[in-house]
Amino acid sequence: MKYKDYYASLGLARGASDGDIKQAYRRLARKYHPDVSKEPDAEERFKEIAEAYQTLKDPDKRAAYDQLGTHASGQEFEPPPSWQHQWQGADADTFSAEGLDLSDLFAHLHAARGHGGAARPMPGQDFEVAVPITIEEAYAGTEIDLDLNMPEYDERGRLRRVPHAFKARIPKGATDGQRLRLPGKGGKGRNGGRNGDLYLNISLRPHPVYRAVGHHLYMDLPLAAWEAVLGTSVEVATPGGAVRLKVPAGSHGGQQLRLPRRGLPTPKGGSGDLYAVLQIAVPSVVSEQERALYRQLAEISAFDPRAQVTREPSHAG
Amino acid sequence: MRVELTEMLWLEEHELSSSELAAISGLTPELLEELVSSGAVSPIDPSVPEPRFGAAALRTALTARRLCTDFELDTPALLLALGLLDRIDALEARLRLLRAKLPGLR
Repeated sequence: MKYKDYYASLGLARGASDGDIKQAYRRLARKYHPDVSKEPDAEERFKEIAEAYQTLKDPDKRAAYDQLGTHASGQEFEPPPSWQHQWQGADADTFSAEGLDLSDLFAHLHAARGHGGAARPMPGQDFEVAVPITIEEAYAGTEIDLDLNMPEYDERGRLRRVPHAFKARIPKGATDGQRLRLPGKGGKGRNGGRNGDLYLNISLRPHPVYRAVGHHLYMDLPLAAWEAVLGTSVEVATPGGAVRLKVPAGSHGGQQLRLPRRGLPTPKGGSGDLYAVLQIAVPSVVSEQERALYRQLAEISAFDPRAQVTREPSHAG
Repeated sequence: MRVELTEMLWLEEHELSSSELAAISGLTPELLEELVSSGAVSPIDPSVPEPRFGAAALRTALTARRLCTDFELDTPALLLALGLLDRIDALEARLRLLRAKLPGLR
């Protein structure tokens, strides 16, 4: 099994006091707890911090951990047989550290010591898996492969890491922030406790064209100035295929044109809308002839785009 | 060999009773009761005698369980944290909508 330096996880020296351990945990939990943190690696970091704290805050577990000696983080090691006899008593005969994680070892230590093998029902652990999908996959539905390693007790009460390979169909209608619950597919319960649940947390990957808000999609629609003035009909790519969109004469930048039911499908058979956000695009290079025409337009046009901002503010009620 | 998962529930579509919500979230029925009476966890229709709960309630209840365990919070501190997280969620949703409407921003 791989050694983990729990003291280093909390940024502490090995002789740290109980108070130091608590304080370090609180400080790091505030920074990395996935419910309150925006750090990109928050979930991973918090798991590491919580695992270290669960062991070091308990004097017995800390003593057991300290007796494992000091190794480099990630270094392969096995707890010596004497350690297993001292800390696991009768359980040591059925216990094998093979294929286990250090956290499993201490969870097992807790279960064996705290309840003396008594048949108290223990619910299985819930698992959450992040499932990032593309907007195209959300539109059409998709299939994903999940490979999870779950700690489980076998029929003899031995703890094992068991690989589970699942295939899950994400139905169309999934969108950012939605969650699928798979009842009973989390960790196995013990002594009649219920099995944990597996949650799939759906997120949408950033897309080069669309921005999703719930089941609605937003996209930019760049127009030339004359298209906005005169109106036009343009082809717009939507997730369901290209459609023609009529842009009315006199459209302006920032305006949204709604294409009903062209967004993402909803689970109940409906659809969100697609909004085209108009943008007036300006050419960065113009020919002499174009420049001359723009000059001519500037001379004859009475249009004042700053009429609102340059007018003297009126104080009269 | 991959096991195909078929029994999947959209949290958004599934309704839970109060005891199911407590069992799934891991909150004690007493703490759940307190969260409901303080308005932190809202039933779909508060006027019925046997309230049912939706996805938002389960999400809050799971967060509450994690915050309680991981920060060793008492109930007033938990209510404060849940209230602030709610406000952050609402502000982030508003920000996402405004950003989506702005041309050229992703």
